[in-house]
Amino acid sequence: MRFKHDYAGEAQGLDINTQNDNVLVEVRDMVKTFGVVTALNKVNIQVRRGEILGLIGENGSGKSTVTSIIAGIQAPTSGRMFFNGSPWKPSSMTDALNKGVGMIVQESGVIAGISIAENIALGEYDKFGKFGFLSKNSLIDAAAKALSLIGVDDVDPSLPAFALDLQDRKIIEIAKVWAKQPDLFIVDETTTAVSQRGRKILYDLMERQKAAGRSVIFISHDIDEVINICTRLTVLRDGNVVQSLDKADFSLDAIKRLMIGRELKGDYYRSDYDGSCGEEVVLSARRLTGHSLNDLSLDLHKGEILGIGGMSHCGMHPLGKMLFGFLKPISGEVVAWNGARIKNVSTAMKNALGYVSKDRDAEALLLRAPIRDNIVSAGIDKIAKAGFIFPGVEKAYSKKQVDDFQIKCSSDEQFAGQLSGGNKQKVVFGKWVGAESRIMILDCPTRGIDIGVKQAMYQLMYRLKREGVSIIMISEELAELIGMADRLLIMKDGRISKEFERSESLTEAQIIDYMV
Amino acid sequence: MENILQRQNGGARRVNNIFKKLLPFAGLVLMGILYLFSTDFKPTAFHIQTIIDQVTVMAIMSTGAVFIFSLGSFDISLGVGAAVAVCLGIMAYNAGSGLPGMFAVCVVVGLVAGLINSTLSAVFKMPVFIMTMAMMSVLTAMLQILLDGATDLKIKSDIADPIKALDNQWLRLAFMFAFFVICLVLFNFTKIGRRNKILGGSPKVAEQTGISIAKQTIITFLISGFAVGIAAFLLITRSRSVSSNTGTSLGMDVMMAIVFGGMPLSGGAYSKISAGVVGSFSMVLLSQVLTMQGITTGWSQVYRAVLFLAVVFVASFSYREKMLSRAEMF
Repeated sequence: MRFKHDYAGEAQGLDINTQNDNVLVEVRDMVKTFGVVTALNKVNIQVRRGEILGLIGENGSGKSTVTSIIAGIQAPTSGRMFFNGSPWKPSSMTDALNKGVGMIVQESGVIAGISIAENIALGEYDKFGKFGFLSKNSLIDAAAKALSLIGVDDVDPSLPAFALDLQDRKIIEIAKVWAKQPDLFIVDETTTAVSQRGRKILYDLMERQKAAGRSVIFISHDIDEVINICTRLTVLRDGNVVQSLDKADFSLDAIKRLMIGRELKGDYYRSDYDGSCGEEVVLSARRLTGHSLNDLSLDLHKGEILGIGGMSHCGMHPLGKMLFGFLKPISGEVVAWNGARIKNVSTAMKNALGYVSKDRDAEALLLRAPIRDNIVSAGIDKIAKAGFIFPGVEKAYSKKQVDDFQIKCSSDEQFAGQLSGGNKQKVVFGKWVGAESRIMILDCPTRGIDIGVKQAMYQLMYRLKREGVSIIMISEELAELIGMADRLLIMKDGRISKEFERSESLTEAQIIDYMV
Repeated sequence: MENILQRQNGGARRVNNIFKKLLPFAGLVLMGILYLFSTDFKPTAFHIQTIIDQVTVMAIMSTGAVFIFSLGSFDISLGVGAAVAVCLGIMAYNAGSGLPGMFAVCVVVGLVAGLINSTLSAVFKMPVFIMTMAMMSVLTAMLQILLDGATDLKIKSDIADPIKALDNQWLRLAFMFAFFVICLVLFNFTKIGRRNKILGGSPKVAEQTGISIAKQTIITFLISGFAVGIAAFLLITRSRSVSSNTGTSLGMDVMMAIVFGGMPLSGGAYSKISAGVVGSFSMVLLSQVLTMQGITTGWSQVYRAVLFLAVVFVASFSYREKMLSRAEMF
């Protein structure tokens, strides 16, 4: 999409006196409004050459908005931008990329139905043919080269994009942007959307970018990751720049406080190291094989938080779906507390199972539906009387979850797709808690949500545990598994490679050996 | 500050939503005014009867088809399905089945067509729309076979004819009203309607909330098939005959009516059961206005197509606007 800019003060031209050769990109007094909502309020940001600038803030603080404007995805309402000392007015994302600013976005930017090579060359097909005919060979050669530049030599670019799983498809986007060698490389909350391999590639590229004297803007909710990687930080809150910090001033507590504007009170994870739970086995997986699982068995007890960790392709994500009856095993079975076999989602729900998908937007939420419809979707059988759904009952059911989870919305009639990541996740939790699920399978439950909401989710899980709800927590973040699980199963190659009991002395270093 | 913004935003959204809900009704009022203008504000009983005759059949079929539309799909074989139901209904009546027999045949044909479409789609995991295209070809051929080379098939006049007693607009209006009320309840206040909206919103989410896509699709097509059966019965009471041209444009008219009635193109949460009735009235009034203005059939189709594209454009613009307003992320 192309658009026209309407910058305030455009006529004033470039103020040379304030330009600095060391500054690659400057954003001045940027305002972005959507109707009555101000997403950015006179934001000023500088990106220096050879730095990795971290942009952090809670969901909805304006991080993605400001970077999407720099990358040409949308236009500002007012304000000015400069790139290499000249006014910067990209007309589209492709225009920005061709001129030196490339961005890896949060959402998937890959078209599944065309080849990997065609995805990488998207928007530039004219370069790969003559007289309107596309040269597939040159397209594939160029794509292979682009993939090679980011260190990926084992992906056949002639394959359709859907041959890769969602996480690996991100690599296509990375290759496409990196092939242009942009002066500014923007990574927007991508590390949670890629596999560990993709994450390693991104870290490596960011370091290479810095070493070459070019720049990176890195957005992430993982503060430890940001502290490790970034050379400088800018903190945003409610559309305002709160403060910028140099590396020497990085401190976990200070960053958290700046992000949320208050001290985080209470425990972040749970504070106890009592890994006890009920004796009763509420869910059993017996010798599950198929979908990358290899003769896997486990038991979940009443009131237990059972952590499952490993590399992203270890089989833990299909395991979650199989336990919920969404994927069928080739052999083996899943048995509920009452002896009922979980054959499909319907039997799972009848036996009080709930499932929070890792891929929230695609599998857990109706983005183009009101919050109310989403919350009610898993509880239709609960609220229906003789097949009829009464509006008053439905409204009360939804309101309870919105209130209990403190979902920030104008009303429960608001589109779920318009919520921030954290509030979307609260809606998904509300959907299953409302349906009175007693066994919750949570696949990456804190993926892409900010620290404040994360803390709320951890406390909710702990509360549910104390109420006797059993939880399977699948995660790629070892810290949260160590922090929350009563028992931790580490998976490798579709099997459980090690079991750890909850312990104060348990560290990531002890676990990693069993993952790789 | 944030709360104030949320409240302001909520207020603006409510006004916006009310405006969008009223838009199809505003279109209907506009068509009504144009119609009155075309009749010099003196519509005759004949005018009214013509409208009722046309609108009732289309509204019943459209209301049934809203269920399919809410899944984000469409049945293109509806028109010819109705024609086959009319044909077999007349054959049954001529064979001495009587009115109840004729009604039963019409309904069963509608249900069977819907069942075949949905079951094959579920078994072969094919898009429903593709399956209905194949069904349209099959039904068209079937109609030709049933007519056996004749241009049309009529109710035999030598049989005592109780059908004449049914040829009145009040009965048609009663059928339309009753069917609409049943569908209104089914769509808005039962599990069937709610599951349809979830399935239309996202099949993946529907599956992960325990909804059987196959079962829901079959239920949906049975409701629509029932509507086709009733519409076929009313068509017989009105025209007392069937030809190879019967239902030719009915399927497309139903689709246009639903869109005119404010149905979202992608189905899902904002599907409206009223779209069938509101859109059918708008469509019929538009057709009448064009006819009374002396517009030829060919040009009339062009005008309708242009209006259809305009409505689709506005609908899709509204959709894009909703999905792009990321600033509303709190």
